[in-house]
Amino acid sequence: MTIATIDTLTLAELQTMRAEALDDLPFGVIGMDTSGIAQIYNAAEARMAGLAADTVLGSSFFNAIAQCMNNYLVAQRFEDEAELDAVIPYVLTLRMRPTPVRMRLMASPSSPLRYILIER
Amino acid sequence: MAQAVSEEEKLLEFLYAAPTGLVQIDASGAISMINPYAMKHLLPLAGMRGAGNLFTMLESSAPELRNLFDGFAAKRGTVCDGHRILVDLGRLSDGTEPKLLACTLVKLDDDRAIACFSDITAQVAQERRLKQAETWFSSLMNDINDYALVSISSDGIVDAVNTSWTQQTGQAADTLIGQTLADIFPPDCGSVHGIDELLRISARDGWHLDEIWQTRSDGSRYWCQRLLAACTGSDGELAGYTVVLRDVARPAFDTDDLRRMLTQDHLTGAANRARFQNLFERAQLAWAGHGTPLSLIMLDIDHFKRVNDTYGHLTGDLVLVGFAETIAAAIRPADVFARLGGEEFAVLLTGTTLAEASETAERLRALVAAMRVTTPQGELSVTVSLGCASATRDDDLLRAADAALYVAKQTGRNRVHTADNAAAAA
Repeated sequence: MTIATIDTLTLAELQTMRAEALDDLPFGVIGMDTSGIAQIYNAAEARMAGLAADTVLGSSFFNAIAQCMNNYLVAQRFEDEAELDAVIPYVLTLRMRPTPVRMRLMASPSSPLRYILIER
Repeated sequence: MAQAVSEEEKLLEFLYAAPTGLVQIDASGAISMINPYAMKHLLPLAGMRGAGNLFTMLESSAPELRNLFDGFAAKRGTVCDGHRILVDLGRLSDGTEPKLLACTLVKLDDDRAIACFSDITAQVAQERRLKQAETWFSSLMNDINDYALVSISSDGIVDAVNTSWTQQTGQAADTLIGQTLADIFPPDCGSVHGIDELLRISARDGWHLDEIWQTRSDGSRYWCQRLLAACTGSDGELAGYTVVLRDVARPAFDTDDLRRMLTQDHLTGAANRARFQNLFERAQLAWAGHGTPLSLIMLDIDHFKRVNDTYGHLTGDLVLVGFAETIAAAIRPADVFARLGGEEFAVLLTGTTLAEASETAERLRALVAAMRVTTPQGELSVTVSLGCASATRDDDLLRAADAALYVAKQTGRNRVHTADNAAAAA
């Protein structure tokens, strides 16, 4: 079996993956509903950010956890583009350290959740 | 152990969610700590370029911050407090306020400083309106006779005039009734907004207050405050407008340090971004109103990063100052010379055609090439690339001049490129 990367994983695969499988991935996965509430926060992302999944799930992701993405470069794209699949370079503030990452933004009218995949 | 982990997590949660920006830097500006709110506002300014250094990220919108920090001699203390950074340049097409950040920078020791950022756009707009209202209503009590009034119907036609209006402007009531707002306030009255925009703002907010030149019937002009208030009927529908004019003494310009601080670039003495924005808007409105040509030259010092990297920022600053002196001495007093970013400058030329602007640009290019700047490392010389454009109906002037500058850079630097848009033929 080949190991999934942020580039190979499809929206269909993400939607059917169970929590344990998401936690096994070597990169961060965040899933939000259309109102921006975090519904998926996998183990890799929790490790990078230094937060427990329990505290993140149910919160308004772009307001309480990742304000650094709450601008036209990321959050606005989910509002503007119903069908979205883009890989962008970005700089996050994981544990308050400026951290360059690659991010893949995924959304589709057919998917109840919007996804952000993050690779350090 | 479990207890310690959860405390750290709480601290992280607090910093992730804090609605204010915090950045810790060393003496070079390199970022060691930054919270999400700060990154949200700073990353779009610089893109991925230099995301690890605060001064690099702010180079294009607030180059003075590095100058202020480098010039701060004390070992510790507040470098700036609530220093305002105008983020967006050019006119926002949707009519929203340009974004304004406030920055407080505190030096903690030789190699550590903390900057705090907040978005004060809405707050500043609100304060400005409150201050206007306060000034207006307090002065209203003083002498009611000085207030000239006209009443305007909902479709923009004058239907009544008071006697103070006739005394103030010399215009008889019967010549005014039936005229439109555009007749009374021609585009060259100095207003930042056009009549349509004024009506829109007044209908939205209930009133709008600004200051303009008003022309008397004998052709002379006076500076006055103008209030445009929307009147609503009992049914809540717009019934018309009232315009009130008040003759005020024009404030003396450029006399005090405060005004200089708010309008000049700290290092070079050129107009700063906020000042440029203001004058650029006015010049564009004047151009749109009566069509006198308007041209813009964008200037960018070639390979300036090399000067900084080779000789250090202090020498780089000397070059910027020398460059600014050279340009300022070579243009007309009415031309606007502004520093827009690190090594990026603009010259705004009113009443100037594209061909004339192009000649000026070539003259400036030659002057800069011949310039020698005395520095501790000896005499240095630089060259400059210039892009020229003139205002046209179908192109954004700032963008056109920027595009021309880009071509000048791409085709070898130390040269002028002139936009070949429709105005070139005119």
